[in-house]
Amino acid sequence: MTAEAARQGAAARPKRRFRITYVDVILWSLRLLILVVVVGGTIGTLIKGRYTIEHWFDFVMFGLTMGGIYALIALGYTMVYGILRLINFAHGDITMTGAFSAFFLARHLDRTGLLDAYPLLSMLAITALAMVVCSVIALAVERICYRPFRHVVTLAPLICAIGASFFLQHSFRGLFGSTIRSYPDPEWLKGKIDIAGFGIPLVQPMVIGTALTAMLLLYLIVQKTKMGTAMRAVSEDRDAAALMGIDVNKVITFTFILGGCMAGIGGVLYAMVYKQVYFFMGFLPGIKAFSAAVLGGIGNIPGAMVGGFFLGIVESVGPALFLDGIGITAPYQLRDLIAFIMLIMVLIFRPQGILGERLAAKRA
Amino acid sequence: MKIRRLLTIAAAALLAVGVFSAAQAGETKGPVTDEIGVVKIPKGAPIFIGGYWTLSGPDTALGLDQKRAVEIAFDDWGNKIAGHPIKFIAEDGQCNAEGGQTAATKLASNQRIVLVIGPDCSSSATPGAPILWKAGIPSVGTSTTAPSLTAPDRKPGYHGYIRTVYNDLAAGAADAEYFYNQLRCRTLATVHDGSPYAEQLVRVAENTFKGLGGSIVAAEAVAPTDVDMRPLLTGIATTKPCVIYFPVFVAAAAQIARQAPEISGLENTHIVGGSALMAPGFLEAAGDAAVGFVFTNPDTSTDAFGKRYPEFVEKYKKKFGEAPVQAFHANAYDGAVVALMAIEKVAVTDDKGNTYIGRKALRDALFATEAFDGIGGAIKCNEHGDCAAFKFAVYEFTNGDPSTFKIGTNPKKIFP
Repeated sequence: MTAEAARQGAAARPKRRFRITYVDVILWSLRLLILVVVVGGTIGTLIKGRYTIEHWFDFVMFGLTMGGIYALIALGYTMVYGILRLINFAHGDITMTGAFSAFFLARHLDRTGLLDAYPLLSMLAITALAMVVCSVIALAVERICYRPFRHVVTLAPLICAIGASFFLQHSFRGLFGSTIRSYPDPEWLKGKIDIAGFGIPLVQPMVIGTALTAMLLLYLIVQKTKMGTAMRAVSEDRDAAALMGIDVNKVITFTFILGGCMAGIGGVLYAMVYKQVYFFMGFLPGIKAFSAAVLGGIGNIPGAMVGGFFLGIVESVGPALFLDGIGITAPYQLRDLIAFIMLIMVLIFRPQGILGERLAAKRA
Repeated sequence: MKIRRLLTIAAAALLAVGVFSAAQAGETKGPVTDEIGVVKIPKGAPIFIGGYWTLSGPDTALGLDQKRAVEIAFDDWGNKIAGHPIKFIAEDGQCNAEGGQTAATKLASNQRIVLVIGPDCSSSATPGAPILWKAGIPSVGTSTTAPSLTAPDRKPGYHGYIRTVYNDLAAGAADAEYFYNQLRCRTLATVHDGSPYAEQLVRVAENTFKGLGGSIVAAEAVAPTDVDMRPLLTGIATTKPCVIYFPVFVAAAAQIARQAPEISGLENTHIVGGSALMAPGFLEAAGDAAVGFVFTNPDTSTDAFGKRYPEFVEKYKKKFGEAPVQAFHANAYDGAVVALMAIEKVAVTDDKGNTYIGRKALRDALFATEAFDGIGGAIKCNEHGDCAAFKFAVYEFTNGDPSTFKIGTNPKKIFP
């Protein structure tokens, strides 16, 4: 049914303005419950006064750090969705492949002392390797798993995406073992930096800065280059773009490369923060980044960035702010719960996300 | 329609009666009658013994070490028991409930298995042991320390389960006493990961600590796969604990060890891990942050173990080319010996050379194990299946390179 027909249908039906169904009741109670938890918890926490302003600053910085990484990964989801209308569930694991491959280079550079001697060059090399590996694997996944299904309107591409995700995880497990490996921790990364009187670990502003720079570059590529314009055109209407002489295959390939590059940077930053790599490490950040993309409005590039930072902050501040105040013990283990409740809430109440998908005309 | 339903009910009732009477009557094969069932091993055929430990993931060393110790025990018996060769089938329990369930189901489906040794993790034993016992297979836990597994009010599913490792009721109490008396701490914060082992252990430690006069300032929890510990540690830091105790597994513990030094407010706090961390995998995951890291553990030094322990270590080195890689190999060796002694005791061989083992009899023989001098100390089983005592120690890592892992020097014992 087109949007026009739907509107006509709605107009033809008698108006039932005051009818309240049980679904409405449940949905409103859900909103009310969340509101009570958020407001009540916040008031409770603030009255308790367990956390000082320094702690809150710390929480927000943790949140921004994680948020930057989520945002970088989320960009991959959102760009692919914008162009192919496909959730690339293997994207989290593509991130893992980059971080994992870069680990070997990082370890080598660390052992030879180069990582400490030439920090910038080493980090560039490590990130470049992660970006290349992620891009190559993203392209392979696209070519093998998605392209054959491009014109098939079934669940096949989605199932294939999940399959690709498992394939990547378990091939890395098979190749490199299931142990957790420790990322090098160079001396220059260990310091603290003073921001507005608060001492925070140096790694946090570095991660946030790198993430923002990468996002700015991506935004410029999408907005200012010819290829970016083509990407936006394909995302608006693939068939019309093809008729206008845009090589859709090339654009899709380019999108996957861009997504792969962002995933590569995200993976390295993630490994810099947590200093571990593990074959399963991409799964949870992948799902979180997907939530961030949905939160910001999937298909919308600035939305993914906003969603990533927003999710990171809520996840970091939420347990202390909302849950501590209502007397929940051990609130931090419920952090993922907060993230996924947010995903569900967005899907129910605002499926278009915070910023919504920016399209000239909504698709049916 | 009505008649059909009546018939169905009657059939179900008959079936139930049949099953019930069969269970009552037990089974007779050859010369052996047993309440639960009898395994017949034809002449020359192997006796199947199962095992399940953590054989993959960050806690591999925990399981691998124990599986190896069991293999050494079999070697010491000439890989033969009751005149039959031993066929050993080891599965991966993955140190979680899903893995334990899968491994136990696989083993339970093989009715030739007479007994299972393992697992190493309480989270695998919690679903695993009842699945095995439902199939008539008793099991011998080798580093499963959670109090619930042998609690007097445990469910009947655990009645076929004994363990040749201490109970955390003892370990948790010893931990709390160490914090209170040796570290002279009066405030304690705990972190568990939701596993039966960690959760029950911290509860025992908390209660003992409170009993001694200390106070619990934070009782937190993480998920075993959590990587961001900073908000958690920041929250704990606001309570200014003297000691943070987190007996969790390698992945989460390594993150805590790495991130705790970055948290302001924890500079003077003792950061103490638990016995799952005595593994090269911890050094691999924590890197240089492991240097100076302290954890409580059963005492694995030669003087704490039985007299035959050094001899065991030599065999271990010879067979596997490295020294033991975790803390519970002696318990596993003793578990295997207890199992073999019980099989030997109940196995009946007829004049044709066929051997018969009663399942209930085997279970009873395991529980009746008494006064035997294991390489990990004295073994004597009580009516709930606890067979080993606890000897407390504290260890500290001295180097972050996994290749330098050697129990005694890295980590080295710092108490007593």
